[in-house]
Amino acid sequence: MQRQVMTLTVNGDRHEVLVSPRQTLLDVLRGQLGLTGTKEGCATGTCGVCTVNNAEGEALLSCLTPALEWDGEAVTTIEGLERDGRLAPIQQAFVEYGAVQCGFCTPGVIMSAQGLLNASEQPGEEQINDGMAGVLCRCTGHIKVKEAIRNVGRFRDAPAK
Amino acid sequence: MAARPDDKLNVIGRRQRRIDGFDRVSGRSEFTDDIRLPGMLHGKILRSTQTHARIVRIDTSKAEELPGVKAVVTHKDAPDLMFSEHQPVLAGDVVRYVGEEIAAVAALDLLTAEEALELIEIEYEPLPSATTLRQALREGAPVLHVRSPDNVGPTMEKDWGDPDRGFAESDCVIEDEFRTPMQHNTLAELHVALADFSNPDKLHMYTPTQGAPMYQMELAKGFGLETSQVRVVYRNIGGAFTGRGRPKPHHFVAALLSRKAGKPVKIKATADEEFIMFRASGETVYKFRTGVTSDGVIKALEADITFDAGGHDEWAMILWLPSVYLNWVYQAVGVRYRGRFVFTNTVPKGSHHGGIMGRMSAGWQQHIAHVAQELGMDPADLHLKNAVMPGHESPDGSVFASCGLRDCIKAVVDRSGWKHKYGKLPKYRGIGIGLGAQASGSKAADNDTSAAMVKIAADGVVTLYTGIPDMGQGSHTVMCMIAAEVLGTEPESIRVVQGDSDITPFDWGAFSQRGTFTTGNAVKAACEDARQQLAEIASRELDVAADRLEFGAGRVAVRGNAEQSMSFSEVANKSLHSTEGRFVMGRGFFNSPKPFGALAFSFGAQVAEVEVDPVTGAVTVDKVWAAHDIGRVINRLAVEGQLDGQVFSGMSQVLYEECKVEDGLILNPSRLEYKLPRAYELPEVDYTLVETIDPYGPFGAKEVGEGPIVVSMSAVAAAVQNAVGAMVPEMPMTPWRVLRMLRATADGSTDVGKAWSEGLD
Amino acid sequence: MHLPAHEFVKPRTLAESLDVLRQAGNVKLIAGGTDVTFNMRGRLFQPDVLLSVRGLDELSGVGVDGDGWLRVGAATRLTDIENAPALGDWPMLRKACRSVASRHVRNMATLGGNLCLDTRCWYTNQTAEWRQARGPCLKNGVEACHAIKTSPVCVALNASDIAPALIALDAEILLASADNERRLPLADFYTADGVHHTVRKSDELLVAVRVPPTADATVYIKETARKGNDFSYAVIAGRKTDERVSKLVLGCLSMRPIQLTGVLDVLGSGELTEALIDQAADACRAELGVLTNLYTPAAYKAGLARALVRRALQTLKET
Repeated sequence: MQRQVMTLTVNGDRHEVLVSPRQTLLDVLRGQLGLTGTKEGCATGTCGVCTVNNAEGEALLSCLTPALEWDGEAVTTIEGLERDGRLAPIQQAFVEYGAVQCGFCTPGVIMSAQGLLNASEQPGEEQINDGMAGVLCRCTGHIKVKEAIRNVGRFRDAPAK
Repeated sequence: MAARPDDKLNVIGRRQRRIDGFDRVSGRSEFTDDIRLPGMLHGKILRSTQTHARIVRIDTSKAEELPGVKAVVTHKDAPDLMFSEHQPVLAGDVVRYVGEEIAAVAALDLLTAEEALELIEIEYEPLPSATTLRQALREGAPVLHVRSPDNVGPTMEKDWGDPDRGFAESDCVIEDEFRTPMQHNTLAELHVALADFSNPDKLHMYTPTQGAPMYQMELAKGFGLETSQVRVVYRNIGGAFTGRGRPKPHHFVAALLSRKAGKPVKIKATADEEFIMFRASGETVYKFRTGVTSDGVIKALEADITFDAGGHDEWAMILWLPSVYLNWVYQAVGVRYRGRFVFTNTVPKGSHHGGIMGRMSAGWQQHIAHVAQELGMDPADLHLKNAVMPGHESPDGSVFASCGLRDCIKAVVDRSGWKHKYGKLPKYRGIGIGLGAQASGSKAADNDTSAAMVKIAADGVVTLYTGIPDMGQGSHTVMCMIAAEVLGTEPESIRVVQGDSDITPFDWGAFSQRGTFTTGNAVKAACEDARQQLAEIASRELDVAADRLEFGAGRVAVRGNAEQSMSFSEVANKSLHSTEGRFVMGRGFFNSPKPFGALAFSFGAQVAEVEVDPVTGAVTVDKVWAAHDIGRVINRLAVEGQLDGQVFSGMSQVLYEECKVEDGLILNPSRLEYKLPRAYELPEVDYTLVETIDPYGPFGAKEVGEGPIVVSMSAVAAAVQNAVGAMVPEMPMTPWRVLRMLRATADGSTDVGKAWSEGLD
Repeated sequence: MHLPAHEFVKPRTLAESLDVLRQAGNVKLIAGGTDVTFNMRGRLFQPDVLLSVRGLDELSGVGVDGDGWLRVGAATRLTDIENAPALGDWPMLRKACRSVASRHVRNMATLGGNLCLDTRCWYTNQTAEWRQARGPCLKNGVEACHAIKTSPVCVALNASDIAPALIALDAEILLASADNERRLPLADFYTADGVHHTVRKSDELLVAVRVPPTADATVYIKETARKGNDFSYAVIAGRKTDERVSKLVLGCLSMRPIQLTGVLDVLGSGELTEALIDQAADACRAELGVLTNLYTPAAYKAGLARALVRRALQTLKET
């Protein structure tokens, strides 16, 4: 089975990687690139733990797309949200509002929330549900996840603690 | 000395954010599948495709020849390696369910391992099978185990108190039946084991777990090692929900492959394989009987439960759980319990979030509501009349030193507006109330011990060594809060060393709601020990009596004279770098003085309000009012999170979750088709915390890890019962089952009534 | 589980893509990948060539043609369709697109992919090992059906939430091959065979969907287990033309979307009274054909169909 060289920009860094057609984008992120923040879950596109953002900042399921589809493109993973050593506002909000428990789904849930916030700075209730229904957080019941998203504005200009 | 509610506490009771929050939100938290050891191989398990068959031939030669394959194992490699008493880790001559472990390969990469698996040839001789309780209990049914010719495995029969007297004193006896299906925990992190057994003198097992000791003991026993020769390593754990209590076959298989290949081997479940690996809860049939006087005094309680054990009795230990549980909610004079495990040709079963009690209570609390209905009573009044109280001793010998159950009932009745709603809601709306209790640190064996150590380094930094895993519930944050309270410092300044059985002191683990209670007591004791050591040194240095010292802001000061103080660093330096050469290390320990059972119990009541769509049968949970006596609240933020999660998981089990099993195969082994609700479906949750201060718990705390889900399931089930007008005899309460109920109870004019001429299941 | 071995091909133009389709034997088209990747992982699809048309300019975009028809490129993502201003005149299509799966999926999935979604069955959408344990069926070229033992055809369910809406809107599709191009009413695209469930030839590619302009009142309802996540239990799309119910299309209940022409006959041009709605709803059972127990019990499917017809008619009555 032939492998191909592809380029993939992740969190602003351009990588040249040798990829098998048998691999998904998730396989390459976790495997070749060692970016293990993104998790592997249901493999059916319903749990959302593999969520990363595309170049437009939209949530996307990295387990449901062949890696080679992304040749020449850019994605953002959970490792790419911090700026100058500071957590992004949504990350801070998750900590402060108790939206994190076991933490396994958290990277995917945060990248879903970030995708939502990229489209709308102050999403309403329906938008929050729409943006987050594609992820399963087994621990929190999504209640504090939604609370964190509603209150993310508090962390936009606040200095990180 | 028990803490009093008016104690001045600095840290306990706060809304404390997680101490590991930064790592968890930034992708830094390492889970087992994120670990790659040098030379690591990837393992895959070949599983039975037969419900019941004799294995005639296994040919692994082609797999062994595939380039990149480093080891292949079958029963022949470890004929004596047993998983449970009668169950080899790799099947020998017979397989008893689809998915049973038969062979395994380890290869340089996962792709090769997957390919190698396809090259193993197995020839089966099919045997007749019984894949449901009904089939297995039928006369002349195929027999799974020669030792159980009727397919009935372990049983338990137990009378607590005097149930015969209780029933004799009753004016009426009500009976109901209930059934729960196979259900799966859907842990966020799929099962994974990374074994390094390349040095046969030491087995390193990296895996998510609820506690290292049971893994060490069982793996040591299997491989002929001493317990200390097994090192269990866990970093972060993607949820447990009763599902990671003890090792499973894949742990043994990974070790076996590693020993044979001489390299570390990782085995990770695929999403569908997870439904096999996990050992979910099986089909269960409950018969409830309750004896009650005409004025509503519950005299006797009885439950007769038949569990589908699957192909092996791996989890016979769960049989006794409902037996004691029935003692803890109402003041009955007697409790009778009958439980039995039945073998079927399906995957072996364990338990689900909420243990056996949640699933049982979804039926049992509907049954109690039915009792109230027969008596013409409001169920909330019946609950209040019979609920246990502080000081009550139940027939099983449990004594409730602290108990706020009645306050919980009053709180949810009041806050939900129950009296204005019950019996007065419009058609297709329902309101239900459920009660529950949970043992906090229920002891089943002598080794139910937690030990802890706390070190004060020369720089003053406090490091806590604990073997309690944090599967998400926030134990480490709670332990740091307890330590900070005792030492007069801040939780986030404390370092936690955990996750390695070579390093941390013994801790039986996060089972039976023992984390906060048992480990919390051990951590508190360790910190008190360290505090005393600090005080001794400071007292010498400051030349005052130790009892005149106070701790705060990371310093030891003379009471009333803040000028005269030393930092932890100064004190620790004096000690460590003295000619005495000792360092400040506190040691703590807790093992309940009771030989069996629990010292403390949490209690709760919830009310749920639901709406049923009479056309589609869909149930919407609008709001849940939850009131819980969990003892002293240590971390309010985490407590709310636990309540949210359990309301969610409870409604999920009652309304959504079901493994559809047909001829021994799970038809929906995926998170797409095995449904859990999401963002849209969640109800609003109203919390009331009834803070009784328990005399045995650390600072008076009890548990919040599993008590609430039992209550949630009861309340949601009772609310649907109320909406459809009769006990719903089966979970989950899917739209088609709800419609069947509506049809059964309706006056014939419901919207869909006439369209239903066929059966609905 | 890795994807099965294949060659991944991603041409830059439509013409090149059609060339690949003509020349290669066992080709599977992929755009969003949400269905194809999933089915490949389960070894239900084992193509020699995976032909990607994701993001291909000639297949992307939403616009209104000179004749006033809406034109949507087959590889346009559902999110982009939802957000397209032109959709304001076709609100039912927006609603249908928005009802598909989750936001995550819609950020990837395309209209063409949704219309071509493979049929679903819980005896086939499993791993290869699972199917081996259960035994093969019509989907694997063997004369057997686990859903309905006696069925000579595969009864796997059509899963498209959007097809019923587009059929109700009289949409047509453009199919192109290297040598040919044809237009087809979407209603004629589907067959009553779960295996070969569309009339697309192996060298053809769905290029675009065109929808005629209309100001008719419409209704679209999806019933599902969990909002924002799931395939449907059932969907219904309805339309009222000149005060008369002109379309009722049920989806996701059997191998293809079902046009309830018999129900329309019952309705005639009569006023939508409760009695007539009841009569029409009762008439729908006869048009559903054989129902399976796949995912939901057959009796529930029948009842739900009836309930959806009622609800759709009640909504149309009020608009």
